[in-house]
Amino acid sequence: MRKILFLGLLVLAGAALAQPKVFKGTEIGRPGGAYRITSISDPRTWNPFVARETSSTDIISLFLPYLTSYDPYTQAPEGRLAKSWEIRNNGLTVIFRLREGARWSDGRPITADDVIFSATVHADQRVNSNARSSFILDGQPIRWTKVDQYTVRADFPKPYAPALIQGWYIVPQHIFEPAYRAGVQQLQALWNLDTPPAQIVSGGPFRIDSYVKGERVVLVRNPNYWGVDERNNPVAYLERYTVQIVPDLNAQLARFLAGDSDVFAAANADQVAQVLERIRAGRLRAEIFPNVDVTLGTNFIVFNWNHKDPFKENLFRQVKFRRAMAHLMDKKSMIEVALGGLGQPQWSPISIPNKAFFTDDVAKYEFNPQRAQQLLAELGFRTKNRDGWLVNAQGRVLEFNLTTNQGNNVRERIAQIFRDEARKIGVKVEYRPIDFNELVRQLTSPAADGTREFDAILIGLTGGIEPAFSRNVWELDGSLHMWNLGVGGKRPAKVESFEVLIDTLMKRGATTLDQAQRRQIYVQFQKVVAENLPIIYTVAPAYNPARLTRLGGMFPKEQINSITGQAPYIETVFAKE
Amino acid sequence: MFGYVVRRLLQLVPTFFGATLLAFLVIQLAPGDFVTRLELDPTQDRESIANLRQQLGLDQPLPVQYAKWLSGIFQGYLGLSLSYKTDVWSVIGQRILNSMVLVVLATLMIYLIAIPIGVYSAIHKYTWPDRIFTVLAFLGLAIPNFFFGLIMLFLAVWLNDLTDMRILPIGGMTNEFLHLGNMTRAAQWLFPFALGGTLIYAALFWSRSRRGQTPTFGVWLGLVLFGVSSLLMLAPLLQGPGLPERLPYTESPLWARITNVLWHAFPVVIVVGTSGLAGLMRVMRGQMLDVLSQDYIRTARAKGLSERVVVYKHALRNAVIPFIAGIGGLLPGLIGGAGLVEVTMAWPGITPALLEAISAIDVYVIMGLITITTVLLMVGNVISDLLLAWVDPRIRYS
Repeated sequence: MRKILFLGLLVLAGAALAQPKVFKGTEIGRPGGAYRITSISDPRTWNPFVARETSSTDIISLFLPYLTSYDPYTQAPEGRLAKSWEIRNNGLTVIFRLREGARWSDGRPITADDVIFSATVHADQRVNSNARSSFILDGQPIRWTKVDQYTVRADFPKPYAPALIQGWYIVPQHIFEPAYRAGVQQLQALWNLDTPPAQIVSGGPFRIDSYVKGERVVLVRNPNYWGVDERNNPVAYLERYTVQIVPDLNAQLARFLAGDSDVFAAANADQVAQVLERIRAGRLRAEIFPNVDVTLGTNFIVFNWNHKDPFKENLFRQVKFRRAMAHLMDKKSMIEVALGGLGQPQWSPISIPNKAFFTDDVAKYEFNPQRAQQLLAELGFRTKNRDGWLVNAQGRVLEFNLTTNQGNNVRERIAQIFRDEARKIGVKVEYRPIDFNELVRQLTSPAADGTREFDAILIGLTGGIEPAFSRNVWELDGSLHMWNLGVGGKRPAKVESFEVLIDTLMKRGATTLDQAQRRQIYVQFQKVVAENLPIIYTVAPAYNPARLTRLGGMFPKEQINSITGQAPYIETVFAKE
Repeated sequence: MFGYVVRRLLQLVPTFFGATLLAFLVIQLAPGDFVTRLELDPTQDRESIANLRQQLGLDQPLPVQYAKWLSGIFQGYLGLSLSYKTDVWSVIGQRILNSMVLVVLATLMIYLIAIPIGVYSAIHKYTWPDRIFTVLAFLGLAIPNFFFGLIMLFLAVWLNDLTDMRILPIGGMTNEFLHLGNMTRAAQWLFPFALGGTLIYAALFWSRSRRGQTPTFGVWLGLVLFGVSSLLMLAPLLQGPGLPERLPYTESPLWARITNVLWHAFPVVIVVGTSGLAGLMRVMRGQMLDVLSQDYIRTARAKGLSERVVVYKHALRNAVIPFIAGIGGLLPGLIGGAGLVEVTMAWPGITPALLEAISAIDVYVIMGLITITTVLLMVGNVISDLLLAWVDPRIRYS
C-alpha cells in the first residue's frame, strides 16, 4: 500500500513539473540503491545562513536549491533552479527565470519570493552569511528584485563576469521568514542539528532522513525534486545517500577497503598501493585512478615586503632574489618526498584543473642552484663567511626564517626540502613550524606602522574555479594581498609596477563578460605572476579518486577531474546491483 | 565527619573559580580565535570578518567575556557553541554518553582482569606465567592506544577477509542497518549454552551455600556473566522471529541497538583497556607483594590458617585499599573520553568533538567540558577521601 501511494506521489510530482531540469548523466540509470561516503567531521548546522565549513555545506547542497552552477562537462554556467536567463543593460542586469512547478518537499511551490527572501537574508549584514560576498561588488550592493512569481532580476553596480554563478542556497520563505522577523538570533537558531529531520524542508535531490551525532547523516530521495534524466525519468536515481563520519583518514581507508563506503580519495601513494593490492587480491570490486588530476589546493612561499628590517624588506622586494629562491625549489624531490610521488609542479596562480583559464605557457624558474647562486651574486652576495653562509659587501649574512603551520605534513616536508637546498648554497634558512592561527595572525595583522614580523611563510589557499573570487589576494587593497599588505583596507604604502598591473588585470577580469577576452586577461595575469613571483608556488598534490564498481553514472577515467569529481551529477549516480 | 564534608564542599567554590578562570585564560592565550581561520578564505572581506567577531562577542574584553560566561553557568547554561550555534550541552551531551559506554566497559574489564592477574602474579612470583604477564604488561604499556586502534582496524579487515564474515566491525559505534535475522538466529543458537552455564553456576552457588561456604569470586563471575547473557537473549528470542530481516538502526528495537553498540564497542574496549589493564596489573602485583611480606601475614600463616584464607581474607583486603580510594578519581575520567582511540576507530565520543573544538577555538565547548570535568574531579576527590576513611580504620577526619 505504501508503495502504491509512493508511486502515486511520484506520478503527481511528475505531472506537476512543467519545466524540469534535465540532468545529462553518463548513462541512463535505474532507480533505487544507496550511496555511502565518509566525511572527516560532523556537520555543524543545517542552516545555510550559519554554515561556514564544507562538512555542513556539502550536505546542505544536497537538499537546498540554488539558481545556477557550473556545467560539469564544459564548466560554463548552467541553470539549476533557474531555467534560463537574459542579460540586459550591457551586463548590468540579469533576469533569471525559475522553473515553474518546482516544489519544496512539503508541497509548497518554490517561487521568486523564496529567492528574493533568501537573497535579502544572505545580504543582511547582521546575519553574516558566508555567502554575503556574493551580494556586494566593490563595496556596492547587488540588488535582487522580484519581477513576477517565476522571474527575478539582479542589478549589478558594474558589469560582473561571475554574475551568472549564483550558488547561494535558497531557503523556503514560509519557514524562515517568521524567525527572521523575530530577529537574527531566532533565524540562526533555526534548523540546527537538534531540529527533527522531518521539519527540514528540501528543495534539492535529497532530504534529511536521520542524523546520529558523530556517526552518520542519512538522506533519502526527495520525490518532489524538479529534475529528470534524458528520458524524462525522475532523478535522483539513488534512494539513499549516507554520510558516515570517520574522523581519521586511515580509518576512512579501512572503511573503503571493507566495501563499506563507495568512494574514496587516496591521499598518498601508500594509500593508493593498499587499494590496488586489495583490488588485485580480488577482495574489493573497485577502481582507482592514481594521479588522474591535481587538487585545487595550492602550496606556496610568500616573503614579507613590509618587514621592519629595511635590509630584509629591500631584499624581499628584489625580483632577482625571489627568482633565486624559485630556482632553489627542487619540485621533483618535493613531489617524491612530500607527496609520495603523486603530484605536479605548479608555476602560476590558477590551479591546473581549471582548464577554462589555466595556461602552462608561463616563465618557469626551474630547480637550478647554480643559477640561484649567480642571481644572488648579482645582488651582492658573492662571498661566504667562516660558517659558510653567503654575505654581502657589508658583511650581512643572507638569512631568513621560514615558517609553516604545524601538523601539515606535506607543507612541513616541502619547507624542509627548500631549506636543505638553500643551505647547500649558503642561504641561511631557519625553518620552524608554528601554530596555524599564529601564522595567520603574522600574515594578516600588520602593526600600526604597517610592518609585519615574519620573513617567509609557506602556506596554501584553496583554489576555486572562478579567478574573480580570489580578488582579495591579488588586488592592491585586498585583505589577503599577503606579500605586501596595506593597513586598514588601504593600498600598501610602496607598490611595485607589476603589482599595479596585476591589480588592473584582476579588475578587468572581473568585469569583462566575453569568455575569450577573459581567458586572455587571466593568461596574462598568470604570466605576470609567474615572472615576478610575489608568491612562489611549489607543488600541487594529486587527486587519486577510487570507487566501487557497483556505482553507475560515473565519469570514465578521461573525464574525471578534481573540480567536478568522479560523477557529473549526484542526481544521475546509481547503484548497479 | 559532617563538619569535614561541609568544609570540603565549601572549599570547592574558590577552586571552581580558580580552575575555570585559569582555563579561560589559557584558551585565550593561544593565538587567534574562532574567526581567524576564515581570514585565509579569499572570498571573505575585512568587513564580514569584523562583523562576525562582533556578533560572537569575541571583540569584547576578556573579563567581560568571562563574566558573561560565568553568569550563564549560574543559571545552568554552559554557553553557546560558536560553530554549532546551539547550546554547548546539546553539542557534548550525547558524545559524553557515547564515551561513557567505552569508559565504563573498559574500567569493568580492567578491574575484573587486572586484580586476579595481579594477585596470581604476586603469589606465583618469578614463575613462567608471572613472567609472561609481565612481558604482556610492558607491551600493553608501551604501545600507544591510537596506534593499537589502527592495528585493530586492520586486524578486523583481515579477520573478516579470512572468514568472509563480519566478525569485527570496521570502526564506528552503530551500523546503518541492523541484521535482526542474524541476531535472532545467533541468540537461538547460543541461548541453550548460556542457560546451561547459568544452571551449572547456580547449582555450584547453591551447593556451596548449603555447605555453609561463601561462594568464590569465580562462581559469582560465572553466575553473573551467564545469567545476564541469558536474560539479554530473551528479548531477541521472543521478539526476533516476528521482525524483518533487516531494519535501519533508528527503527530497530532497543535490544538490537544495544547488541550492535556492544559489538562495535568490543574491539575498542580491548584497545582502551589494555594499557590501563597492564598498569593496574603491575600495581596490584606490587601491592600484594608488599602486603604478603608484612608481619601479620606471617602470623596468620603461623597460626595455621589455610593459604586461601591468608591470601584472600588478610592480604587482598589490605592490598586493594588504594584502588578503592581511586574510585573517586574515576569520576572525571568517565566523561573525559577514551582518548585518541575514539578518533582512529571513529567512535563518536567526546575526544573527536573536543579536538575539533580546540582546533576551531570554539571557546565555550572547551570551557563547558572543562567545567564539567573540574566539578566531577572535585566531587570525585571528596568521595575518594570519604571512601578511604570508610575502608581504612586508621584514617579519621574530624
